[in-house]
Amino acid sequence: MTPTRVQLIDEAEELLEPRERALLGIARVLLGGALANGAALALTLLLALAGALRLWPGYFATAQGLLASGLTLAPDTAMAVVMLLLLADGGLLLVLMTGVLAREFWALPGLALLLLVNLAGLLLGGLTLAVVTLAPGAWALALSLREARSFRINPVMRKEFRGRMRGPRSFIVLTVYLGLMSAFTAMLYLVFGSGTVQGTGSAAIGAIGRVLFIGLVSIELLLILFIAPAFTAGAITGEREFGTWDLLQTTLLVRPALLIGKLESALGYILLLLFSSIPLQSIAFLFGGVTLAELVVSFALLSVTAIALGTLGIYFSAHTTRTLTASMRAYTVALGLLFGIPLLLNLPLFNAFVNAASGFGSGISASPVLEAIFVYVGFLLVSLNPVATALVTQQLLADRNVAGLWTLVLSSDGSTIPLVSPWISLVVFYLLISTILVALAVRRMRKVEA
Amino acid sequence: MSLIIETSDLVKRYARFTAVSGLSLAVPEGAIYGFVGPNGAGKTTTMRVLTTLTRPTEGEARVAGYSVTAHPRAVRRSIGYMPDEFGVYDDMRVWEYLDFFAACYDIPENERRRLIDDLLELVDLTHRREDMVDKLSRGMKQRLSLARTLAHDPEVLILDEPAAGLDPRARVEIRELLVELASMGKSIFFSSHILADVSEICTHIGIIEAGQMVIQGSVADMRAQLTPWREIVVTLADGDAVGEARRLLEGMPRVLETGLLEPEDERARLSVHFDGDDAGVAGLNRALALADIGVLGFQEETKDLESLFMNVTRGVVS
Repeated sequence: MTPTRVQLIDEAEELLEPRERALLGIARVLLGGALANGAALALTLLLALAGALRLWPGYFATAQGLLASGLTLAPDTAMAVVMLLLLADGGLLLVLMTGVLAREFWALPGLALLLLVNLAGLLLGGLTLAVVTLAPGAWALALSLREARSFRINPVMRKEFRGRMRGPRSFIVLTVYLGLMSAFTAMLYLVFGSGTVQGTGSAAIGAIGRVLFIGLVSIELLLILFIAPAFTAGAITGEREFGTWDLLQTTLLVRPALLIGKLESALGYILLLLFSSIPLQSIAFLFGGVTLAELVVSFALLSVTAIALGTLGIYFSAHTTRTLTASMRAYTVALGLLFGIPLLLNLPLFNAFVNAASGFGSGISASPVLEAIFVYVGFLLVSLNPVATALVTQQLLADRNVAGLWTLVLSSDGSTIPLVSPWISLVVFYLLISTILVALAVRRMRKVEA
Repeated sequence: MSLIIETSDLVKRYARFTAVSGLSLAVPEGAIYGFVGPNGAGKTTTMRVLTTLTRPTEGEARVAGYSVTAHPRAVRRSIGYMPDEFGVYDDMRVWEYLDFFAACYDIPENERRRLIDDLLELVDLTHRREDMVDKLSRGMKQRLSLARTLAHDPEVLILDEPAAGLDPRARVEIRELLVELASMGKSIFFSSHILADVSEICTHIGIIEAGQMVIQGSVADMRAQLTPWREIVVTLADGDAVGEARRLLEGMPRVLETGLLEPEDERARLSVHFDGDDAGVAGLNRALALADIGVLGFQEETKDLESLFMNVTRGVVS
């Protein structure tokens, strides 16, 4: 993203209709808000670092008083909340900016919701930095309300969805998908219900429930890994191959709208698959051993993974001319993300976070600063991988009953550092990555044949 | 008359070859402009520049008053483009196809239904409204494509080979449709590599060859320019009167020369080259009658454009 201007629409000096100019103005305000959030995040991060390194003693207490006065948390944890808020706000403002440019119907309610949440944070939690989102957001909302008629259902999404749901194809896919999942569930039940899990009582039955649940979520993850890029890798290249790309380019359809429409239709179908398998997952509840929190977390993980892999496919689709190339690249990155990161997490130093989260101690005792750094590095790596995230989140739920904020005691000097359950950071990161990939894909598409 | 499409010294160079080199187009408003040239002459490249799909290497192109490089969106708003390959979505109905493109042109949903009905009626596809697009015949697809270009009521239609690959009947239908659209006030700029397609309906013609304009202008001007005289064929009732008739005609003002043609049905025929006006032509006829020379036929030959162009382009245009 270049900070100076919105790169996602045709040139600013272009003769735009009043409405287009107004939308561009709204997008600029939102982009400004996103960048302000980014700047605020960088600043708080830098100050937190200074505070943590004892360069500024008492920083966290001061900062909490100023930025998060309403949170009854440890000062450093409160600052972690502030930073997470800034990151999420920045990402969501970018999403809304793209939505406004594409004239998506969800842009307005989405913006209103974001403002409400931030207002709640400001009033209830004393999160003063919510102003960074509230001010540009309110301005953009006021401007958008005047242009409310411009927002509509994306024509590309409508077209794609019509095509996708027509005929027996999509129903066959859904049936086969659910059939396979059911067969898998039955198999898991037969194998684990009869043999391996011995003993009586609710504990053993709960174990069956857990096995079913974990098995289903993993197989869904695997299916998403293969389905999501496949659905989107042909989004742009397919239009080129069909010979409709030129047609679309000569219409007034802006590129964000094309891209988002394609993404919406692909993700809509994947979400349909995910939703339709919730009843199967719920069978696990009959056996117990699975909490509602786990169900919610697993659904969130699966959804954002689908979104991220879907945008990955669309990104490569915009960058290549052939669907095959785009699919191969998307699969390569997706497989690297899913299977490469666990390899990295097994290396010494990089495994600090996983070890610490499992209660074994990070294995670094030389210096608390070094230990904290590697714990955070490991945490970031885990937050990029849905499998690792699911495992660690589950562990935290089981051991500490934590699904949100928690503190880790460093083994080197016994001091504590604030952390969040990795599913939260994964959701934020994946959404942020998706937004950036969409922005990059749009930029790429803007390139007119030289 | 103002120009709706205008290029000056347009150059489009690809890595290895030059597709268009110094093309200057002038399409007046309201014209049906036939852009003729053999395959590979640079027709499609020129059209891609005009439709903002590719940037010119050098030179300037303006469509409906807007520069294609500086104001591409304004250009897109004023053109309807039909590429040489028909872009089909294989899983769409006819009305959905139009609905989708109308939506891409920001036409509000409540206006689209009526618009689609009107467009389908115009191209005579109302009875295929609910059919799948890919089940249509080629001619129907082409007509649907034409309907699509009209969705946002553009000033100019830019059509790449609209009649290519059609059977004769569909070809006639497209041609009639183009004439009808022109009568509705649209300027039409279309390409073809077959001159016969063009000459019947065009008001203006431009011939491109190896990326350069060979000749362009209105059909009437071109005809006048290419044939400085009118040719009148006189069929005589009596073969013996040939000599007298020739003497008489050659004595008339503005008659350039006369010549003897091959007899047809054993009747003597004279060719008269004349550069006067219609009254003069009538005068010739009257003179023959007054001289009591039996005239069976007195007819001005209209040369077809094709043979004229063959002269100009020395056979490079097929």
